[in-house]
Amino acid sequence: MNINFEIRIILVAVVVLAALVAGLVWRSRTGRSKKVSNGGQIDLAELGATKNGQPVTAFGERLTFLQFSSEFCSQCVQTARVYKDLEQHSEGILHIEVDITNRLDLAKKYNILQTPTTLVLDASGRVTSRIGGTAKEQTIKDEIGHFNI
Amino acid sequence: MSKSHSQIDPRGPRFGAAITSVLVLITFFLALDASTSALAFSLFAYVWVAFLWGVLFGNAKHPYGWLFRKFVRPRLQAAKELEDSRPPRFAQLVGLFVASVGFALAFAGVESGIAIAAAAVFMASFLNSAFNYCLGCQMYLGLRRIGIIRG
Repeated sequence: MNINFEIRIILVAVVVLAALVAGLVWRSRTGRSKKVSNGGQIDLAELGATKNGQPVTAFGERLTFLQFSSEFCSQCVQTARVYKDLEQHSEGILHIEVDITNRLDLAKKYNILQTPTTLVLDASGRVTSRIGGTAKEQTIKDEIGHFNI
Repeated sequence: MSKSHSQIDPRGPRFGAAITSVLVLITFFLALDASTSALAFSLFAYVWVAFLWGVLFGNAKHPYGWLFRKFVRPRLQAAKELEDSRPPRFAQLVGLFVASVGFALAFAGVESGIAIAAAAVFMASFLNSAFNYCLGCQMYLGLRRIGIIRG
């Protein structure tokens, strides 16, 4: 290829700018919650979720953060830590983490493409909203606010 | 998730990704002109070897990991939390794959192969270092779902 020096410089600038814009768009979109209307009922037995080695049989009294994680996901660990902290310091909040690396049936059923993905459930286990990526602090505050905690 | 895997300072891989992003951006520039394309080829070959090293031995045993521990971490505050060493290793594998595609295209006679692959690697490594974008989080499950990766 033979491209002018000026054009080459411009191409480099375009690539850098594209990456910068992609990063800013991704950062503003990730971790926000989307309302789910007519959300389905979560079946705890189907999830096969365990907590401290015991199967989970009940939802949180106020709300449940159902977090789907996978292998090779550094942000899943950080996200789990945030939810666990909430669970300890607020009444009625339950955090359930399900590793779907080998549960592609669940990934398909809940249409999960990235991890962490969190489904926010009401007291009866219905999905009320969905958070793709590491939840922003404000997102979590808003979600908890909806349940008047 | 097994907890037995080694834990590393999450800023280490981001530092390595920053070095990679600079090198591949230079590669991209050099690959655009015939007079410097051989140089671009050599530089990208070095980047390929660095990815291979990361895949085989992990970030902790990588020269960039060593540079980070020796020169960067002493100037930073202690890490708030450590992270699993496997996600960054997965990112190295993705980098190795993309760089390999670039060489395959170049050997097949596609003149812009190295430039295209270098631009793609730049996007990923820049997003990783500047925005803490995690390839494993975004891609692993999708690749599993379409059957490219098996568990």
